[in-house]
Amino acid sequence: MEAIRADGLTKRFGEVVAVDGLDLTIEEGEVFGFLGPNGAGKSTTINLLLDFIRPTEGSVEVLGIDAQQNPAAIRRRVGVLPEGYGFDDPLTGREYLEWAIRTKRADDDPDDLLDLVGLADDAGRLAGEYSKGMQQRLAFAIALADDPDLLILDEPTTGLDPNGIQQLRSVVRERAERGTTVFFSSHILSEVEAVCDRVGVMNEGELVAVDSIDNLRERAGGAATVRLTCSTPPTGLDIESLSGVEQTTVEDRTLIVDCATPAVKVDVVTHVAWRVNVENIVSETVSLEALFNDLTGGGRDDASAPEVPQ
Amino acid sequence: MSALDIARKDFAAARRSRSLWVVATLLGLLTTVIAFSFSSYRTPPTETFVQLFQTMGNVFGLLLPIVALVVSYMSIAGERESGGLKFLLGLPNTRRDVFLGKVASRLTVVTAGVVFMIVTATAMAVARHGVLPLSVVVGTFVVSLLYTAVFVGIAVALSAAVAERSRAIAASVGAYFLLVLVYVIPGVNVAQIVRFVHQTLFGFEPNVDLYNTVLYTSPLIAYRKAMNLVVPSDAQRQVLERASETDTLPGYLGDEVSLVVFAVWLVVPLVIGYLRFEEADL
Repeated sequence: MEAIRADGLTKRFGEVVAVDGLDLTIEEGEVFGFLGPNGAGKSTTINLLLDFIRPTEGSVEVLGIDAQQNPAAIRRRVGVLPEGYGFDDPLTGREYLEWAIRTKRADDDPDDLLDLVGLADDAGRLAGEYSKGMQQRLAFAIALADDPDLLILDEPTTGLDPNGIQQLRSVVRERAERGTTVFFSSHILSEVEAVCDRVGVMNEGELVAVDSIDNLRERAGGAATVRLTCSTPPTGLDIESLSGVEQTTVEDRTLIVDCATPAVKVDVVTHVAWRVNVENIVSETVSLEALFNDLTGGGRDDASAPEVPQ
Repeated sequence: MSALDIARKDFAAARRSRSLWVVATLLGLLTTVIAFSFSSYRTPPTETFVQLFQTMGNVFGLLLPIVALVVSYMSIAGERESGGLKFLLGLPNTRRDVFLGKVASRLTVVTAGVVFMIVTATAMAVARHGVLPLSVVVGTFVVSLLYTAVFVGIAVALSAAVAERSRAIAASVGAYFLLVLVYVIPGVNVAQIVRFVHQTLFGFEPNVDLYNTVLYTSPLIAYRKAMNLVVPSDAQRQVLERASETDTLPGYLGDEVSLVVFAVWLVVPLVIGYLRFEEADL
């Protein structure tokens, strides 16, 4: 069965098209990364899934239930970490969580959940006085209550320290192993890369790519880069004659070679090492950030470089 | 009932609001002071007691709408602006649950406030005059509560219909102005305005009943009329003008109709506010 299914989902705010004809299917049990820069339409899509806003055109189903027709039935089976929330009632973290558990008619032990998100020591404090990271942990705990079939996490790592991000990832992985579908939105690719089976990339309201990270990497092609620091300036080595070499740059004693595939890097290193003394080798695989920029129109470094005034 | 969970949470939060306690204390003090200082020359205790409660009614007429609006104007707009609504609706609640829960909790808060004010006034009056006309006390409480509930409904409805705090404030101030203030500002007499439009602008024959009917649409006028229902008949006051001393008001301008006015003001804004909230992009 499908956890999420959007058909021609469109949302306009006046003249602005926030989401434009989105077709997206997410299978049950998947961990799906929903990527895109700020303002790409990720949160709008999530708000449509949860019936916070109504589509201009198209429809969306969550767990087989139409989001507009029966939002409460969806909310019963979904755990949500929303974006732009606030804890403004003078209630403690524990009270907020207890309210969420009660509302979900769940039997979770609040202490277990607080422990899971690392808030056990601060549960008695007012949630409104928490730091952003602690509020994010509390919101995550609220999402986890009642072990939902689908977790919808909108930019869940915002404000979290590296330790918190680690914790969040491990909880997400553990829930996913137990069969929970996870819909994880982020503007940072590396975060999604670590947990997701598949990613979708949004840009300006449109879904520009949906694939596994590996396939996306392959699709982006080339641009595997190797940097060789030599004892003498590595000029006139005729590296361009090697097949698969796309571009070479020499900066002082450093040679930078962009390769079509990672395997070409070996040829480059062998070729250079025969001719000059190589002191250091730094290999960069295709940068996912570059791929991400490429998909979202941010432009890759090599493409935009000539435009930068020196 | 999810609405009940929302109301419980909302009420728990309200109980911790220090400003709410300060306001309640000040209101209690005010009613105590009024009850203490009120005196009538050579009237029997029970009559004095009734007159005191009628005076209290005049004060409540202006004060209770403010209490209700202040307690309720942020109920939904505030959640919308701060993002609390994302949790309310991220959990298994419907918009109707949120709306009803907010109405219930804010009604509970103002009920507690009205009880407190009536109790303090009654306690002081009993201490001063040694009588307790229970029907007047209970009647004033019920009528005042209805009147306050009308404004809670209006404020929650307005709060549900707008997206921001600033607009919720503006809407509440506007409601107070239109429904209460224009009926008491000296020099601005709604009846006179209606009379002017009807007679001078349109050139119709004078029709006092029509002017009275327009006046009667105000919850404030309805409240004053409703107070007549709870005091002995010799203490009743003439709220609406009559053509002549001997003239009696038509049935549809009777004191009992105030309950209908309350009912309409209670239901219509709530329904409109709810429908607006149901359709809104949050």
